[in-house]
Amino acid sequence: MAEKKDFRRVDRFIWELPKEAREDMRVPARLFADAELLDAAFRDRTVDQLINTTTLPGIVRYAMAMPDFHQGYGFPIGGVAAMRTDTGVISPGGVGYDINCGIRLLGTYLEQEEIAPYLQDLTTVLYRACPSGVGGKGRVRVSGRELDELVTQGARWALKRGLARPEDLAHTEEEGCMPGADPSQVSPRAKERGRPQVGSLGAGNHFLEIDVVEEIYDPEVADAFGLRENQVVVQIHCGSRGFGHQVCDDYVKGLQETVRKYGIQLPDRELVCAPIDSPEGRAYYGAMACAVNYAFVNRQVLAMGVREAFEQVLAGKVHNFDLFQIYDVAHNIAKFEEHEVDGRRMRLCVHRKGATRAFGPGLPQVPEDYREVGQPVLVPGSMGTASYVLVGTRRAMDLSWGSTCHGAGRVMSRHKARKKIWGADLRREMEEQGIVVRAGSNKGLAEEAPAAYKDVSRVVEVVHGAGLACKVARLRPLAVIKG
Amino acid sequence: MGRGFEEVSHTADVALRIWGRDLAELFINAARGLAWLMADPDTVQPTVAVPLELTAYDAETLLVSWLGELLYRNERDGTLFTTFEIEEITPTHLRGVAKGGPAQEIRQPIKAVTFSDLAIRRAERGLEVTVVFDV
Repeated sequence: MAEKKDFRRVDRFIWELPKEAREDMRVPARLFADAELLDAAFRDRTVDQLINTTTLPGIVRYAMAMPDFHQGYGFPIGGVAAMRTDTGVISPGGVGYDINCGIRLLGTYLEQEEIAPYLQDLTTVLYRACPSGVGGKGRVRVSGRELDELVTQGARWALKRGLARPEDLAHTEEEGCMPGADPSQVSPRAKERGRPQVGSLGAGNHFLEIDVVEEIYDPEVADAFGLRENQVVVQIHCGSRGFGHQVCDDYVKGLQETVRKYGIQLPDRELVCAPIDSPEGRAYYGAMACAVNYAFVNRQVLAMGVREAFEQVLAGKVHNFDLFQIYDVAHNIAKFEEHEVDGRRMRLCVHRKGATRAFGPGLPQVPEDYREVGQPVLVPGSMGTASYVLVGTRRAMDLSWGSTCHGAGRVMSRHKARKKIWGADLRREMEEQGIVVRAGSNKGLAEEAPAAYKDVSRVVEVVHGAGLACKVARLRPLAVIKG
Repeated sequence: MGRGFEEVSHTADVALRIWGRDLAELFINAARGLAWLMADPDTVQPTVAVPLELTAYDAETLLVSWLGELLYRNERDGTLFTTFEIEEITPTHLRGVAKGGPAQEIRQPIKAVTFSDLAIRRAERGLEVTVVFDV
């Protein structure tokens, strides 16, 4: 088993394990961390899982873990790996169960003081407008045929149904529609689970938050994103619900046999995969893209719910209750992207599992009105603490296939958090800080306690220092809604 | 036969170590463990009995399918399964009955059953496996 001493410091925040460290490694492994965060990697199975990722066929350069890394299943959380499209593989275990789990940030024209008198009411109405819980039913119900259209067209479907505005799509990764979605590769069970859940938060670490912009680090970029100090904003964190879970489940099971067929040796069965250029690999990609689109629509429908709730509570009371979309990013996804490898442009399949795309300025994938500054990156902190808005960099394109962290990253198990922390105490503490809390259960709150996570500010300092993304603004929660 | 499972630590998700004298007992203990993670099984009145028949590529895939089937039915119908009979089991095929009813409170929502380092091993007490659940 690799130890800390086996890692070589290649830059202030980059630690590399050479590929000689374990016989089956194809490329080196890289951790992005400061000295303290690095220690955390050796307290759970992060390093083993990162080494396992380096063994996948066709992996290019390194397997990487962003500084919010922790043990997951298959890839570590925070894992980034790019595969060649000719000899490489695509792995459902490198994307995870909640396909296109992600964050959407909505801006308002309001300042903190303007909504303060209505915050309790607003939170209650939002809690009702955005259904939560594992099997929770969504705001919209669709027929089987509609679901096929929804997962093929993504946010464009929502636009046609009057559930989106054109500018929402422009400010969504992939414009809210991943190409290549193929509903014929999705099982009837995934569709059955997906139909009633469009527009629902789900459970676990998913949340909806009203925040205030507490500090601006880069006024020029903040201005481009429509952010200003003391402004009220809303974050939505959720994914593809039962639909995405079932897609992952079906393919992790189904590909167990495929791995043997293609003679792929794996150190962990969750890393199951298929050659990108194979019928099985194409089938998974087609199904995964459907789940990606489902998640874009899910967050879009919730965003419209947020708009309705703001209107219901604030109409006639504030000068402008509308919300505009700043951006929407995925943090569990595999995508085909062009990157430079040894001076040559190369098409790669980039897996990001608990990692966010962070494309720098000038790229066509960045929305036109942000193209001069770079793509917004949304990094939620643990519940009740700060969140950050960052911007992608050119350096990230060289260092990490244009990727950065996705959050704070856990350090304590849910089991331990439940034992150590009382949800009721936590609720009281947050309320004492003036944060309005609406949650399904105190136990659920305890699992997401800040003590169970790394310090998001520390994680953000590492990505900022390493040049994976730059700080733009810090957000502080005013109200938290949890499943 | 005792409880047949215990919770083990996992940074982000939840995991159970499960054991049994044979495949049938291992599968029953795994299903009981899942129910225990999700809710207090003592509060469940078994009012529903569902016959289940599953086939899979190997024993580990069969275990994931078995637990996944119970989770799916919980999400769909709200039934928490607490009592199990396995009538026939091989590493690739299972036939049995799951009994359960509505749970008063779901204390730990479970989203999926993973293959993370999944391997059914021979051990002193028969067979043993650790299952990581996505939450």
